[in-house]
Amino acid sequence: MNTLEEVLARARGLIGRWEDEDCGTLTVKDFCRYAAAVDDVDYIRRARARESAGAAVEAPALFLAATMSWEDGPAEAELRPDGLAARESPCTQGLPVRQVHGGQSVRLTRAPLAGTRVTASRAVTSVEQKHGRSGDFVLLGLATRFTSADGTELTAVDETIVVLEAVTEGATP
Amino acid sequence: MNPPVDRPATAPDPDPVAVAVAGEVCPPRRYTHSRVQLFRFSAVSWNSHRIHYDAEFAATEGFPDVVVQSTLHGETLSRYALEWAGPDALLKSVSWRNVTTAVAGEPLTWTGTERMVAPSDEGVWLTLDVRVLKHDGAPCVTGHVELTCPAARTTP
Repeated sequence: MNTLEEVLARARGLIGRWEDEDCGTLTVKDFCRYAAAVDDVDYIRRARARESAGAAVEAPALFLAATMSWEDGPAEAELRPDGLAARESPCTQGLPVRQVHGGQSVRLTRAPLAGTRVTASRAVTSVEQKHGRSGDFVLLGLATRFTSADGTELTAVDETIVVLEAVTEGATP
Repeated sequence: MNPPVDRPATAPDPDPVAVAVAGEVCPPRRYTHSRVQLFRFSAVSWNSHRIHYDAEFAATEGFPDVVVQSTLHGETLSRYALEWAGPDALLKSVSWRNVTTAVAGEPLTWTGTERMVAPSDEGVWLTLDVRVLKHDGAPCVTGHVELTCPAARTTP
């Protein structure tokens, strides 16, 4: 079995298996740091003003969708050579592959508020082997649903990940 | 990005669609992501993939500099559309496809065109085709943004 066939086999075994991750309780600090990273100083000003007034503060619209992991995270020695944590690539752990984000669809159902405890539920939804200009690759479909403690959906994310064989030395990627 | 303020409970414009026309083109905006921005976005989104902050590693994957995060494209396209639509616009959904990679320091242009305008409970529902273009006009990212406005915007 070659590398991409191994990815296919692992992904097929994970399809439909939803796993929950506790995102913790959202804070205005988290929101404002996100806004600062995307140069949205107006958001910070408004959010801090509302916080000072005791009013509810909504998260930046894509705050949940953009955050890649909610875990404390592994130590550096436990990261893959490309820097990803194993949990972030369950179908490719230990395999010589490259991963590229193919695209994403985000549906915003209800704005998350500071103080809300959020759960992210994730699953592999599809897997296909394809052939393109740069050779064979695997297309993974992933779904993430963010919900509040009462089960209300906040944000729904569907995305595709392109998995390719790792670049070998001397080869043109 | 949605403002963190109470949404107005006022009734929508009685005939908002009359002043909004599909096909309107948003003024394009030029932008260049810095290495510092990509590092900060990786940090805040807990994305430790080295192609986004380690230029030497990015080169081993064939990239001339650190790579713009896919989710940052989604974020910036959404904000571009929201800022064009006005201060009361709310993001409903965004979807995008990465056609090719963009890197730090690369001049990019965001573009948008209204594809659909429809009445909604919140006023007007707008769907925009959005794109990130490379300096030669080739698409880097293509997608759609859906948003609502309490009343249709009438000028760019």
